[in-house]
Amino acid sequence: MQSKDKKELLVIAICGLITGAIAIALVALGNPANMGFCIACFLRDTAGALKLHSAGVVQYIRPEIIGLVLGSFACAIITKEFAPKGGSAPLTRFILGFFVMIGCLAFLGCPFRMILRLAAGDLNALVALVGFVCGILTGIFFLKRGFSLGRSYKQPVTEGISFSVIQVILLILVIAAPAFIAFSESGPGSKHAAIIISLIAGLAVGCMAQRTRLCMVGATRDLVLFGEKKLFVGFVAIFIAALIGNIVTSRFTLGFEQIGKVAHSDHVWNFLGLYLAGFGCVLLGGCPLRQLILAGEGNADSAITVLGLVIGAAFSHNFGLAGAAASKAEDGTINPGGVSTNGRIAVIIGIVVVLIIAVLNTFVKKNAKKEA
Amino acid sequence: MDFIATFYSHFGAMRFKKEVEKNGASAVLKPVPRALSSSCGTCCAFTAPELPTPSHPDEVEQIVEITEDGSYKTVFSTLE
Repeated sequence: MQSKDKKELLVIAICGLITGAIAIALVALGNPANMGFCIACFLRDTAGALKLHSAGVVQYIRPEIIGLVLGSFACAIITKEFAPKGGSAPLTRFILGFFVMIGCLAFLGCPFRMILRLAAGDLNALVALVGFVCGILTGIFFLKRGFSLGRSYKQPVTEGISFSVIQVILLILVIAAPAFIAFSESGPGSKHAAIIISLIAGLAVGCMAQRTRLCMVGATRDLVLFGEKKLFVGFVAIFIAALIGNIVTSRFTLGFEQIGKVAHSDHVWNFLGLYLAGFGCVLLGGCPLRQLILAGEGNADSAITVLGLVIGAAFSHNFGLAGAAASKAEDGTINPGGVSTNGRIAVIIGIVVVLIIAVLNTFVKKNAKKEA
Repeated sequence: MDFIATFYSHFGAMRFKKEVEKNGASAVLKPVPRALSSSCGTCCAFTAPELPTPSHPDEVEQIVEITEDGSYKTVFSTLE
């Protein structure tokens, strides 16, 4: 291995370790269990705060999201990598983002939270990890056969900068807390670190993710397609740091039963939820975290994808599609939670829709080109 | 000469690789080096006596030549 590659690998490993440590610190400072970072949950909370859905327990403008985007934006500006671009099948990306969110919320977490849950001993996340990898492998099947959403094009600066401006507006709203913004008084939405801490954590991870291209989907994709381990090392480093942090802070509980930790043991739907997320994200070219980072760099297609994720979250909670966490009543009765019938149907529809998008943009497009 | 070509899609990279191999060059697909771009797509690293002309130039983002000191010199680009 060349010394340049070794140095890059070391940087990714260190950034992964710091990211994992920050995630654990955020939980210690007030975030919900195993939710130092969860892009799906945080976008869902932000959607709730803006009253795009009315689930009272998950409404809060998460400063971590704002920090991730602005951290990436600042880093891209400093390193002259800010490049406004877009125009690569925006509506298709919106739809993919929508269904990726449906899958994530059935499981109760994005791929990032899957790692954090795994590092806390939550074996439901192991089931989801298998589904996630299977989804990525399905996506790779189509990538190898010519899947493409078409090229992107250079865009005006306003197009590249708009998403970051929206984040600044959200930051003003969370600080000013006007009456028209909803803030949860109980449930996961009410649990959060101080705004300034969440913001700094987001900025730091956003910056590191921009420099290292950290991506939960890219890690598996690169390993399978090219035998390239760099991004996978970042994945593992986050896990190791979070695992150590959870053990040290006595937050490690090995098993499927994770009462009060925003999780359920509906195995089939944990598997299929992240199967859908993995499949959709490979077609999108990156996990939800990566989409935020790319949006910060000026990629309007990724910004549209994030909007798809947000609307997916709103639908999830407006129509009861999201998984319900296992809980214990005051009389000691355990409610196992799980995914509702509506949620199950939505996940199946999502898999079918993503499959249709994959087929149409692989085989049908290729045949059309041949005929032309 | 050693080159690295980056693309707008994985498919573009696969098609280009086949093309340069057909012309006798050795080529390999791999993730885009971080030093070259912040994008995490697929690139085609290849060795050829001279810069090939891509048959689908709209799929190619850029082609760089790897100089003796290991730096990149852009020799083809559809980026503005």
